[in-house]
Amino acid sequence: MDFEAVIGLEIHVELNCATKLFCDCPNRPGDEPNANTCPTCLWMPGAAPRLSQAALEKAALLCLGLGSELQPLSAFDQKVYYYPDLPKGYQLSQAHLPLSRGGSITVTNEQGEARTLRIHHIHMEEDVAKLVHELEGRQPISLVDFNRAGAPLVEIVTEPDFRTPYEAMEFLKALRTQVRYVGASECSMENGTMRVDANISVRPRGTDQMNTKVEVKNMNSVRHVGDAIAFETARQSAAVQAGETVVQHTRLWDPDKKVTLPMRAKFEGPCVPDPSVPAIELTPAWIESLRARLPEMPTAKAERLVKEHGISAEDAAFLSADTDVADYFEALTAQGVTTKMALHWTATQVLPAVRERGQEISACSVTPERLAGLLTLLARDEINANAARDVLVALFESDASAETIVNERGFRQISDTGELGALIDQVLAAEPAALADVRNGVGKAMGFLIGQVMQASQGKANPKLIKELLAKKLKTS
Amino acid sequence: MSPIYRFENPDPASALPDGPLHGMRVALQSTVSVAGWPTDADSAALTDFTALEDATVVQRLRQAGAALTGLTRASEFGFGLHGSQAGEAVRNDVADAELVLDMMGECRVAAARAGAFGLLPSVGLVSRLGLIGLIPSMERCGLLARSCDTLSTLLAALAGPDGRDLTLEEAPLPSLAPLPKDGHGVTLGVIPQALEGLPAAQAEGFRAALDRLAAAGVTVRELPLPEYNLFDLVHAIVGAVEASSCAGRYDSVRYGHRPPGAKDWNEMYLSARGAAFGTCVKSFLVQGAFFQFERYAAYENACRIRARLVAAVQQLMPQVDALALPLADRVPEGATATLAETRAPFASTLLASVTGQPALALPAAGAYGALQLVGSRLGDARLLALGGMLAALCREGK
Ligand SMILES: [Zn+2]
Repeated sequence: MDFEAVIGLEIHVELNCATKLFCDCPNRPGDEPNANTCPTCLWMPGAAPRLSQAALEKAALLCLGLGSELQPLSAFDQKVYYYPDLPKGYQLSQAHLPLSRGGSITVTNEQGEARTLRIHHIHMEEDVAKLVHELEGRQPISLVDFNRAGAPLVEIVTEPDFRTPYEAMEFLKALRTQVRYVGASECSMENGTMRVDANISVRPRGTDQMNTKVEVKNMNSVRHVGDAIAFETARQSAAVQAGETVVQHTRLWDPDKKVTLPMRAKFEGPCVPDPSVPAIELTPAWIESLRARLPEMPTAKAERLVKEHGISAEDAAFLSADTDVADYFEALTAQGVTTKMALHWTATQVLPAVRERGQEISACSVTPERLAGLLTLLARDEINANAARDVLVALFESDASAETIVNERGFRQISDTGELGALIDQVLAAEPAALADVRNGVGKAMGFLIGQVMQASQGKANPKLIKELLAKKLKTS
Repeated sequence: MSPIYRFENPDPASALPDGPLHGMRVALQSTVSVAGWPTDADSAALTDFTALEDATVVQRLRQAGAALTGLTRASEFGFGLHGSQAGEAVRNDVADAELVLDMMGECRVAAARAGAFGLLPSVGLVSRLGLIGLIPSMERCGLLARSCDTLSTLLAALAGPDGRDLTLEEAPLPSLAPLPKDGHGVTLGVIPQALEGLPAAQAEGFRAALDRLAAAGVTVRELPLPEYNLFDLVHAIVGAVEASSCAGRYDSVRYGHRPPGAKDWNEMYLSARGAAFGTCVKSFLVQGAFFQFERYAAYENACRIRARLVAAVQQLMPQVDALALPLADRVPEGATATLAETRAPFASTLLASVTGQPALALPAAGAYGALQLVGSRLGDARLLALGGMLAALCREGK
């Protein structure tokens, strides 16, 4: 029998707020263990949680960015479970009345079809403490670090709309882009600011039955999510094929062995509304004022880039995947650089150079203004493409303008016909075999000769001019 | 060892001679956090727990110049009055006022027992930051003193937002209708269903007090509330579920009694929590766990009934200056009791605990039994003034 997977995702995103969700402690989990704590986030008796307005705003902005509808009334509940990372026995989360409902992200699947993957709801919750397992001599010990306790999280819960690991990975990449756009989080699975659980079940392809799902955790890259889903789909398909019943449980992804393994379930009970955190009432005016702060989102940006710059949808998607890259491209065009050149140089020259240097494109020293100076020289044929690449390196290394660098270092292209003519004569004299080939119509011999002239000019010759002069000389001689 | 105090402040002198509470001796319970004091809520679950910071009410007592005398003996988490000395410091004049955690009427019944006045402030008026109780949506910091004037002074010093407890009312308090000059013009509402099933002596004392007030010109109106018996149900289910859900924070791990011999953390959690709570509190928690995990729909239903009851009582309020309810003024002797015995004295106090309204306990006067007045939410100041007037009328009638 042919099986298909039914997959839903639960994505935790740690908001990059300055403080925690219910107290004023710094939201810096990486600091010295237990440095960022107070009676509230240590969950001491008598503590009163106080919802951070900054966290609420950031979470709400994230919801708007994902097209999810903010609810006029939401509230916190006590999610009861006990585990050493949660000594108070319950986590404040929005189980009954989430911050927002709905929304979707459209991705392109492996067959090139558009797939709209729906969000069920988005809710806020506090993070739990972090357990650190160590050895004290030979005795294994577990330590609890409360720096992360009470850190602001949102959880994005999707509909079970995914059918393949690829769709899940594309969704996560797009989600990450959008959350970064609104500035709510870095969404790094490697650093734990984005954590993904996948609910997976299988069914005979073509049916619409909903079968028992298994939750898979502990993937720490988008790639792992895909691998874990693929493994789990195959595992469940084989089990069903063999006549076994799938029971609801939780499994952990083992990235080394590339398998999922069952884990012991945490005791978890129904959620009770928390009486200490007042319900959150959002007015339409507040929501609209927040919406006004929303940046142009990736899909809208890509559509606009196609319309305004006449670039392909694929190029537009590439640029808008990172708002800083798209901004860089648009700043270049605003400086009068042609669309084609701006696109080419942003994608193939500046981005790799920036990454190689470990910089951010938004903060790199080769500003769009400086690069535009270089590209203007290139467009005017004052330098050639080879030289332009060298000038770019020089731009990274100094504060001088492209014009200055070109002048000082002699990058200016040789466009003097006399000077070039002499070089061509020199090459033709040295390469009689190639000359004969050209005369006999061997196409690539012409390219060879041009290359030789370029070399003789130390890369400074204007290639167009070489071609013209060579053709003229071959005709006349 | 003091029969009243379990902890006496060695240095109760107030540092602020100009404060509005200067010279007022205030006794606390171990359910109110005082930095450095053994505020363990009289529970083994919090053995050796020392609060890291003062409760807001304690900060305000200090700022107003009150002298903090110590912690009186309380029942576990202040739940019920068995084994509790609440009210005794005032009765014995070793304190002028007490703060008593009120989750089902403890402060009011303790006041009546001690022949004193007790105020359960409106929900949202006095900060709960630093209170260590069991039922977040019902527990409030009760005030107990020998007169309504003292309660008024105390309330003025303690009430108001603190920027920490966001359930507090931020808006200015509603302006209150002026109080009539004497009993004429005062209207009290009596819910006949509240008198059903009362101990005979209590019902008689209540009627005698009302008769005395009527003789002084007070209008007494009957206001039927057919669902009155549901207050007990709502408290039993909603209160217990809240307790069961949030008592996990009293973890017996970072503090508290921990029985030896657990093999791993899981066993340690189970054995510590099992050993930490006394029988009565444990019964309440188990009752709550039953509804939370086995009968969640019943809990949701109880929440809906609660909202309905709040609305029903609210509708009665514009017709009267206050509701008059009976009030138990004694608690059977004995340090321990079953859950049912513990809850028995609070049949008439659950209404205000459930609705969030302010309630004032007036002590018995002569032949007249103790009385409870329930006011409109945030009308605490007017309720205290009314209480002072009506108590004087009862006393004059001796
Ligand atoms: Zn904190």
